[in-house]
Amino acid sequence: MLLSKFEISGHSMMPTYKPGDKVLISSVPYLFKKPQVGDIIVFKKEKITLIKRISKITANGIIVEGDNLEDTLSSVSMGIISRKDVLGKVILRL
Amino acid sequence: MKILSLITNILPTQTVFAHCDIPCGIYDPYPAQIAAHSVIRMTQLLQEAEKDSDDVAREHKVARFTKVKEDHAEIAKHEVRVIWGDYFKEEHIKEYPQLHELVFNIMKAASKARQNIDMTAAEELLSKIQEFSEIFYKTKGVTPVRIKSLYPTEGEMVVYK
Repeated sequence: MLLSKFEISGHSMMPTYKPGDKVLISSVPYLFKKPQVGDIIVFKKEKITLIKRISKITANGIIVEGDNLEDTLSSVSMGIISRKDVLGKVILRL
Repeated sequence: MKILSLITNILPTQTVFAHCDIPCGIYDPYPAQIAAHSVIRMTQLLQEAEKDSDDVAREHKVARFTKVKEDHAEIAKHEVRVIWGDYFKEEHIKEYPQLHELVFNIMKAASKARQNIDMTAAEELLSKIQEFSEIFYKTKGVTPVRIKSLYPTEGEMVVYK
């Protein structure tokens, strides 16, 4: 995913992103550097495209959670995210 | 900046989910209706409790009924907000342009029903949630129908066929 534009649906990334906000996503940064804790990533989970922040990186994969901790499930509930399911990181808010 | 603007204008917009759930896609206005019926019922019970001549018993009942009324008005607001924020999409708003105002009025009616022992506000809350439920079911491609509830409120529930 060289560059893609996404519109946010849902509240789990508030206050960083609210529903309707648009962001640019790219996988290019991850060609040079591994995903880091704190990165906001877009990934596939059961054919659904989701956006969350990386909270931990383990040997088995990536653990993510929303910024709105009262309204999100971490990947403890969602399962660990595999590196291959990461489509890219947010590089710009539009 | 012009190049960036050009690129972002050309790129198609996709949806990415920042949902509280997976998202699971499980949305239903039924719990909001039950909560609204509970608000009506608690308002009825509060009106009856006012007539109780035993001060201690009256205060105890009022405290209990008020708490439940508060809780269920908040549940009604929460349930409606989740469906409005997470389920409804732009195409639904185009088809039902009254939706935003309806949700706003539900929030107001719920607050009013909490603030006072106000049967008019409680009934208005249910009425607006029923209207909201009908829109929800229509967007699901089913026909909403009103049936008599089996609750002491004797009001209706919106279901679908």
